Amino acid sequence: MTKLQAICRAAFVAATGSTLLAAASCVSSPEPAQMARTTLQTAPADLQLLCANAVAAQTGVASEKVLPVSSSQVDAQSYRVELDAGGTRHSCVVDNEGKVGSVQ
Amino acid sequence: MTTAFDRMLTASRLRPGRFGAVVAGALVLAMTVAWAAGTQVYDPKTHQWISYDRTKAYKYWRQHKQVPEAFRPQVVRFRTAEKPGTIIIDGNQHFLYLVQPGQQAIRYGIGVGREGFGWAGIVRVGRMAEWPTWTPPAEMVERDPNARKWAGGQPGGPDNPLGARALYLYEGDQDTIYRIHGTPEPWTIGLDVSSGCIRMNNDDITDLHSRIQVGAKVIVLMQGAALYKGV
Repeated sequence: MTKLQAICRAAFVAATGSTLLAAASCVSSPEPAQMARTTLQTAPADLQLLCANAVAAQTGVASEKVLPVSSSQVDAQSYRVELDAGGTRHSCVVDNEGKVGSVQ
Repeated sequence: MTTAFDRMLTASRLRPGRFGAVVAGALVLAMTVAWAAGTQVYDPKTHQWISYDRTKAYKYWRQHKQVPEAFRPQVVRFRTAEKPGTIIIDGNQHFLYLVQPGQQAIRYGIGVGREGFGWAGIVRVGRMAEWPTWTPPAEMVERDPNARKWAGGQPGGPDNPLGARALYLYEGDQDTIYRIHGTPEPWTIGLDVSSGCIRMNNDDITDLHSRIQVGAKVIVLMQGAALYKGV
């Protein structure tokens, strides 16, 4: 290997390493308090209960009889929550800020 | 008066992220065997979520004498119309929330019912006990020789399965047979391990017990579980 080749190789390795380091530093980690989860990605509990309040208000069913039974993420901004309201199923969409978008 | 536990809560809320990353990193180093409990913890070194099972949890506990940071008590944002003093249990994510004023809650880590033993419903705290007696159900006495000797009730103490405190959950005036209680196996927090009861570390259940009143509303959320009758 010539001196020029060696210099070029060292420069290539350095550049590649810098790129990888930069890429790694771009990956954000969750806050320490959020470093646990389950494989079942449900809506946060407070958002589920905001949906329960919305269903109770819309249907007139007592809030003690309205319970979220399942939830899933619709997109990066919102969740769909399925609820049991005194034996009747309802569906609700709520966003990350707690704004209830729809109740069916 | 500010208690040591209050100070710990405040410290937990204010603790910088780097310490948590180190703790989580150490946790991952302790992990060797997979066991399908569904819980995952984040490895900040590889930026990956890793399964967290009973074996790994026990190793972590032996090494650190505490559960991973996410399962320790902390004050969190909690947007709700429920009254302060209400208990909300997210069985899927292994958290118990005690609603506080100002759209906040104290969040504790919990262990919940294993597959087939989970439940959901709206109940209340019917009574509470310190260092409660544990009486195994009749079917457990029949199948488990270790339980047989306690058929008449195991006195409260550090080896008692109910731990330091028990909150007995009622629907109306009827005991549901479910409890929120302490445990002599603190490493099981964050896992699906119980027969339907909600288990907490003894320090955590003692703190929760000191903050609530008999009659407190308890909302149990658990996707895929049977609804407790009456809901």
